[in-house]
Amino acid sequence: MKIVFLAAVLLGFGGTLAGAHFAPWREHARLPSHTTVVANGGRAEQFLIRLPADRIAATDAEAGGLRGRGGRAMALPAQFVVEPLLVEHFKLRDAAGSVIGVAARHWTGSSAATSTAAWSILIPSRGALVLSAPGEARGALETALRARGFSAGEAWAGQLAVPMVPDGDGVVAAGTGEFAGLAGSYTETWTVAAVDEDGTLSGTIELGTITSKPPSEPQ
Amino acid sequence: MRYLFVAIFGFALGVAAAGAVLYVNPLTERSAPPPNSAARVLQYSLPDHVLEFSVGEDARLFGQDAGDDSLWEETIDRAAVLGLVLNDADGRPAAIASRLMAPSPENDLLTSGVLVSDHWLVTIPSEGTLFVHASSNAWPFLKETLVPVWYFDRPWKGPAEYWPTVGPRSDDSALVVGLTGVLRGSEGSAVERYELAALDPERRFASVKGELHFELAGPQVAAE
Repeated sequence: MKIVFLAAVLLGFGGTLAGAHFAPWREHARLPSHTTVVANGGRAEQFLIRLPADRIAATDAEAGGLRGRGGRAMALPAQFVVEPLLVEHFKLRDAAGSVIGVAARHWTGSSAATSTAAWSILIPSRGALVLSAPGEARGALETALRARGFSAGEAWAGQLAVPMVPDGDGVVAAGTGEFAGLAGSYTETWTVAAVDEDGTLSGTIELGTITSKPPSEPQ
Repeated sequence: MRYLFVAIFGFALGVAAAGAVLYVNPLTERSAPPPNSAARVLQYSLPDHVLEFSVGEDARLFGQDAGDDSLWEETIDRAAVLGLVLNDADGRPAAIASRLMAPSPENDLLTSGVLVSDHWLVTIPSEGTLFVHASSNAWPFLKETLVPVWYFDRPWKGPAEYWPTVGPRSDDSALVVGLTGVLRGSEGSAVERYELAALDPERRFASVKGELHFELAGPQVAAE
């Protein structure tokens, strides 16, 4: 009887601790990655954001312009309203159009020479990817749209692609999870298909990344 | 029959003892060392400084209404996106932060706790943008406060202070990388501290005052 009791206690005690240690937590759902190998051995992957569906929120300050419309408005404190600052939150899709993560984009700067842009992308099942680049000039999207006949307060339809990052200037700055230790570059293109009378943008943001393991330094 | 009863009783006793061990387990209580006095501090207050909070349908701790446009897709249903205003030490707005969070794959109740991968993108106007990668241990908060008070109606003995940062750096601090502006190219460490100042399950209200302490080394000359 004593032996049965002690064995049962040990089993319960050890089993619970083992369960706490080894039991797998519910993993994040993962979809197949749509990656391709590029000529120099890097890995190319494209991410997609559909507007306005994937816009979670954007700051409401003056710098937002059309990009501040749609989604929830993040009301900045008065001190920041006139700052050249735009913060946007999105859902992120893979190249096949399935939602796989969330992303934040921060832009600062008043001119193309001084502006900067940074992305933080979190794909829960894979890790985070951080991108940075010289940013676009303030109101770059509105400027390009006006050149194609857009007027504020009026609906516009067409096909306009605006590269937000000059070719080769966007870099992979950091990563976690399966993106840890990777270096690389990225491009960012906003393609606008329509603008409503109320200023809501319809279109896509395409982030094209090329990542690779940097060569290890000689010992 | 007696043997079966003894076995069941013994097993239950063993499970209870293991539960007690897990509850007081010091391995899941660790946190990064407190920051030194030279660290820069950015402060936030919840819910006052929240610009926007989107939470996955399976990540709602406080029974929040996730709304119609929540993070409902199965790939992000345990993630959260938080927009915050951060104040400087004088209480003036100094930065905007976007926090992207999701449960860590390294969760282990025996050796590490309930870990959340927390990714901060912080922009300090006129200085630049920095990225903070933190592993935050939510277990002390869950076991001491949220579960007993929120879910079992036990009285709250607050305020309660937490230092959740437990990595990923070797000294258990968070990793900071300067991305743009004068912060570009710098690296450093960060530690988060927060104090739960009020918790009222009946009103579904919680109030938190938090701080992000960070130090950067590198080419930047951060304005103070």
